[in-house]
Amino acid sequence: MGRHRDHLVEGIDPHLFVEEHSPAQESASRPVLLLHGFASSTKLNWQDTGWIRALTEAGRRVITVDLPGHGNSASPEERDAYAPSRIRADLLQLLQDSHVIPLDDATPDSGVDIIGYSLGSRLAWEFGATQPELVHRMVLGGPGSADPLADFDLAAAQRHLTDGTPVEDASTADLLRMARMVPSHDVFALLTMVEAIKGEPFTAAEAVPHMPLLLVAGENDDRAATMPDLAALSDRTETLWLPGRTHTNAITSRAFKKAAIDFLNA
Amino acid sequence: MAELSFPLPDLGEGLIEATVLEWLVAVGDTVERNQPLVEVETTKSAVELPSPQAGVVVRVHGEPGETVLVGDPLIVFEVPDNTAGIVGTVPQEQAPKRRVRLSPVDDDDD
Amino acid sequence: MSEQTAEITAPDLAGTGSHLEHLSMQQALNRALAESLEENAKTLIFGEDVGQLGGVFRITDGLQQRFGADRVFDTPLAESGILGMSVGLAMAGFHPIPEVQFDGFAYPAVNQIVCQIGRMNYRSRGTLPMPITLRVPSFGGIRAPEHHGESLESLFAHVPGLKVVSPADPHQAYHLLKHAIRRPDPVIFMEPKARYWQKGPVDTADGGTLEGARVARPGRHVTLIAWGAMVARCLQVAELAAEDGIDVEVLDLRWLKPIDTAALAASVTRTRRAVVVHEAPRTSGLGAEIAALVTEECFNVLKAPVERVTGFDVPYPSGDLEDEYVPNIDRILFGIQRVLEHRRG
Repeated sequence: MGRHRDHLVEGIDPHLFVEEHSPAQESASRPVLLLHGFASSTKLNWQDTGWIRALTEAGRRVITVDLPGHGNSASPEERDAYAPSRIRADLLQLLQDSHVIPLDDATPDSGVDIIGYSLGSRLAWEFGATQPELVHRMVLGGPGSADPLADFDLAAAQRHLTDGTPVEDASTADLLRMARMVPSHDVFALLTMVEAIKGEPFTAAEAVPHMPLLLVAGENDDRAATMPDLAALSDRTETLWLPGRTHTNAITSRAFKKAAIDFLNA
Repeated sequence: MAELSFPLPDLGEGLIEATVLEWLVAVGDTVERNQPLVEVETTKSAVELPSPQAGVVVRVHGEPGETVLVGDPLIVFEVPDNTAGIVGTVPQEQAPKRRVRLSPVDDDDD
Repeated sequence: MSEQTAEITAPDLAGTGSHLEHLSMQQALNRALAESLEENAKTLIFGEDVGQLGGVFRITDGLQQRFGADRVFDTPLAESGILGMSVGLAMAGFHPIPEVQFDGFAYPAVNQIVCQIGRMNYRSRGTLPMPITLRVPSFGGIRAPEHHGESLESLFAHVPGLKVVSPADPHQAYHLLKHAIRRPDPVIFMEPKARYWQKGPVDTADGGTLEGARVARPGRHVTLIAWGAMVARCLQVAELAAEDGIDVEVLDLRWLKPIDTAALAASVTRTRRAVVVHEAPRTSGLGAEIAALVTEECFNVLKAPVERVTGFDVPYPSGDLEDEYVPNIDRILFGIQRVLEHRRG
């Protein structure tokens, strides 16, 4: 069942919407945490695309969370609620609340696996780097060594929302289009998140996760063009390119799901 | 046997069409209800459509890369004639069972 | 209602020759709808999923392809709109055949059914008839959730201006639906969804008398009065009772408004005992009306008070309790036993 987190982190309640999905058959495998992308949600990124079904049918317990300003989570006013460092702290707390215990070779359901997509992959990269005692393996979809949100032209976006002035930068225009596509999105909360991310841009080489990683992207995914650079940073990395797929449509790919499940179960 | 056709469902958010990415079932497959049928992409996102029906796939509409309009035929199933509706099950005809026995009637009392 | 005296239908239609077909009630209703669309260009079919899908029970299967989306079409999930539109179309000269997908979905449209469809002819001094046939898959028996197994006949029968009918088998379904559609007044057509799939002989050429009740099986000792899916069950009970030497007559009431009082009186005058069987809750169910009519017409010949075997005064239960709720063979046999055992004084 869904619940909003009510556990304070650094004195503030993040009001994140968290759900746990039971495996189709009881199993003793560790849970999988799913982290969705910018302007997406658990529903769009993982539910409607068939991931939760595929994972639970493969015997995995799944934990999902809507990022702040997304899905059913709250949209706080203050910018710090959206900072990647703050989100990592919230993730750590929610895993504790979901009874995830540190990895222990004798306990097969200890620790957690993570699957991220896009912004969720960036958050997973940093989380895995800082929490090696918790994170067992990770699958990062649509990842890159750069962060498109860091180059987002916030001023142009705000001007556009105020008086309709066209946004010149193509990446900014595309991200803004995605943010406004789903009526339930709070576009101002998403822009606040962009602001927070610009304050903490992704520098992949600063903190490198050392557990086994599977990096997956569509062949035609422009946002993941730097995936090989990311792969080069870690010595335990596999990569998979999905023929013909883009950043938008790689997520439903059956080959992606199968590779992820096989990799996590290895 | 009867054929049962399903259109591309309304995908919400005012979307009027979707592009087929990959079929997850093939003609001749026996499909369970809610089994993933096809991946489609809209201008918003990509989704996996679950089957609204159990049955054998007779036809699919839309090759990968082709666009299907909401409401246009997407998939046709062959189902037994006595398939229930979307809700409920077909009652089984059973031999009548009884426990109660009737006493003979006496119609001579008035 | 003198013309409504029940005919005694021969149980075997085989003698009538070339027009005899073996159809399920689904197929019989589908055929009747197709022929009605052919017969009258003013007939329209609409409701939830009746067009592209062909109806959740396949009753309108293929009709949109054959007659076009102008005459067979899907509506939004709004029963008040489906019936409200029917009123407007009827006023404009059309013959709407709306479908409410399940019995329990009719409640949101009660205002349109009661205050407009039932009254418009009266209110307009006969200048605005309502030739509407509202099809409602009705009653229980298919293990469906709430709102999918209800019996609304007494609700509709209580409304002035409406007619209510329910067929018991494919032959009745074919002819009664065509007849209801041809009538100039509004008819609530209650389809027994538990009987949709059973096949039976349909003589498409000869429907016999379509008004009033019908003796589904003649008998001497007691009359079982039923409609819809309960007719088949009562016929089973009659077979079992015959093993015990009890000769049961089964009266298929067919029209629940108006009730064929003459046929009721004729049957009970012969058998002198009556048991009403219905799925609806007992209190203020149609069984009460029938018991009153039988008492008024047959008081002097009755050997026992009219017995009622009915559902209970609770919401229709979930599928796994359905067999306990809907009158079963033993409960009907008990009802017969009670009227057989009754002694005056």
